[in-house]
Amino acid sequence: MEGLLLFAVSLLSLGAIYAILCLALNLEAGGAGLWDLGIVSFFGIGAYTYALLTAPAAEPHQNYLLGLGLSPVVGLAGAAVTGAITALLIGLPTLRLKREYFLITTLAFAEVLRQVFANEDWLTNGVAGIYGLEQPFRDVLTPSTLPYAFLVIILASLAIVYWLVAKVSGDGFGRALKALRENEPLAMTAGIYPFSHYLRVFMLAGALSGVAGAYYVWYNTLVVPGQFSSNVTFFVWTALIIGGLGNNRGALVGGFLFVVMHDALRFIQASSDMALFLSSLRTVMIGAALILILRFRPSGLLPERPARIAVGGR
Amino acid sequence: MDIVIYGLISGSVILMASIGFSMTLKAEGFINIAHGQMLLVGAYLGLLFTSLGIPFLLALVLVVICGGVLGVFIFQAFFAPIKARGTLALLFTSVGLAYVMYGLVGMFAGKRMLAYDLPPVRAYVIDDTPIMTIYEIAIVAAAILSALGIHLFLSRTWLGKSIRAVADNIDLARIRGFDPRHSSNVVWFVASGLAALAGVFLGVLGSLHLQMGWQQSVIILAATVLGGLGSIYGVMLAAVVLGFGMEIGILFLPTSYRTAIAFAIIIVVLCLKPDGLQSLWGGAKARRF
Repeated sequence: MEGLLLFAVSLLSLGAIYAILCLALNLEAGGAGLWDLGIVSFFGIGAYTYALLTAPAAEPHQNYLLGLGLSPVVGLAGAAVTGAITALLIGLPTLRLKREYFLITTLAFAEVLRQVFANEDWLTNGVAGIYGLEQPFRDVLTPSTLPYAFLVIILASLAIVYWLVAKVSGDGFGRALKALRENEPLAMTAGIYPFSHYLRVFMLAGALSGVAGAYYVWYNTLVVPGQFSSNVTFFVWTALIIGGLGNNRGALVGGFLFVVMHDALRFIQASSDMALFLSSLRTVMIGAALILILRFRPSGLLPERPARIAVGGR
Repeated sequence: MDIVIYGLISGSVILMASIGFSMTLKAEGFINIAHGQMLLVGAYLGLLFTSLGIPFLLALVLVVICGGVLGVFIFQAFFAPIKARGTLALLFTSVGLAYVMYGLVGMFAGKRMLAYDLPPVRAYVIDDTPIMTIYEIAIVAAAILSALGIHLFLSRTWLGKSIRAVADNIDLARIRGFDPRHSSNVVWFVASGLAALAGVFLGVLGSLHLQMGWQQSVIILAATVLGGLGSIYGVMLAAVVLGFGMEIGILFLPTSYRTAIAFAIIIVVLCLKPDGLQSLWGGAKARRF
């Protein structure tokens, strides 16, 4: 029973991390219509930033930069900042590209970044990654309560992120983004400059994804370049499409649902051959779910709600 | 000299893999992420056939046919019904298909690296320098033949003209008597068949592993972008350029950056000259998307 509970807590924690990513993606893709296939870039940068800031100095057999051993809060803030800066750097040349071009370029950046993580040993300890990262509050709480504490923290963060995203999409900035998404030339005649709006939302999504990356390090206690392949990007998109592109609650539902679908099978103990078979089967199921949703319920489980504008007289 | 040889071989495989991708992009107007996985399927199908005792050349033909049929099936079953939903839906359906294909191959083939059971051969030698083995020569020949074949097909045959007409302006094409459904099937058959063939060749050159589909997807994307999205002749040129470019690039950078070079090319081309190489001869007029 204890094992099952811990497994559920672990699933919920990962679900919350994915939900943050889905909310970030929803902000830029659902709100502004940016087809960003490179969201894992910010996720990865945030994770490595957190690791490099909070890890102890490198051991002799390891090789990475920094390792300042700072507090987790600094790590989180750092992850958000570098996520936003990465978004700025990637966004400046790419945000003026349209649709498919933007999509391909963001994908390209994400892959280049992953190879940099893997190859630049002096910075990131290369393919081996940085491991043995301590989870915060290790000295304050007992090991058995740690997962629960983490879950509480990340759910609280998720709530904050949700509030932030809802606020941004609800007020003027969010409406401007939707206008740009629906009809860019018309929005421009209304005085909405596309580039500055896109850049701001891109940077916000980058910051949020960076924070999610930092939490991912908490969850795993290690960073390895292989964790930041474009699979993550496609998974987040899948989760968002299933939940409902353009709907923040859909993003939440999609994030948790996806993690449950993807990882619930992990609880089953299996031989290594069977495990390989199961993991391939999982991939098939995810692909099938994506195909089915797009075919039969393309707006997702929770479709985007059309904005209701009060017309004068009521 | 090595660079010329490797570049040629590399470019040949990229060409065969990318022509199909470019064709479906031009004809249907969306990026088919599952195209890369067709190489994976082709490679493993080839393995299946040869392990059943079918002679290699016959297996090649079978793989092309199976790949082509599979491509048509995928188009009719998954893409055609939702064409009206727009490029994003088509793109992510192709992502879903890519995962399904990847997972199915993984389920049946396992994660070990496998290889074709071909007799080892020595390279032909000219003046004491080894040039290429018969397999590599065959691959280059196949690439040249397919490029030539596609060119002739598109420009000389009625079917080829109908494909180009439908891709350019579907309503006008219909008025003139071209049936878009028919031409679509041909496009998908040819595109997928070539991709499956390229997959077998890739397996011949190296070994088979589950990641080969995704790895090639990157390079195919780079070639298509470099050539110009929607330009078939552009992608042919770009495939060769990319093949040489990657081989030259790893002279200066660590070999593990080989695909990163492809990605870097994507970024540079899209940010500086999004139309790609086809702008050299004035391609890229109004795109369908």
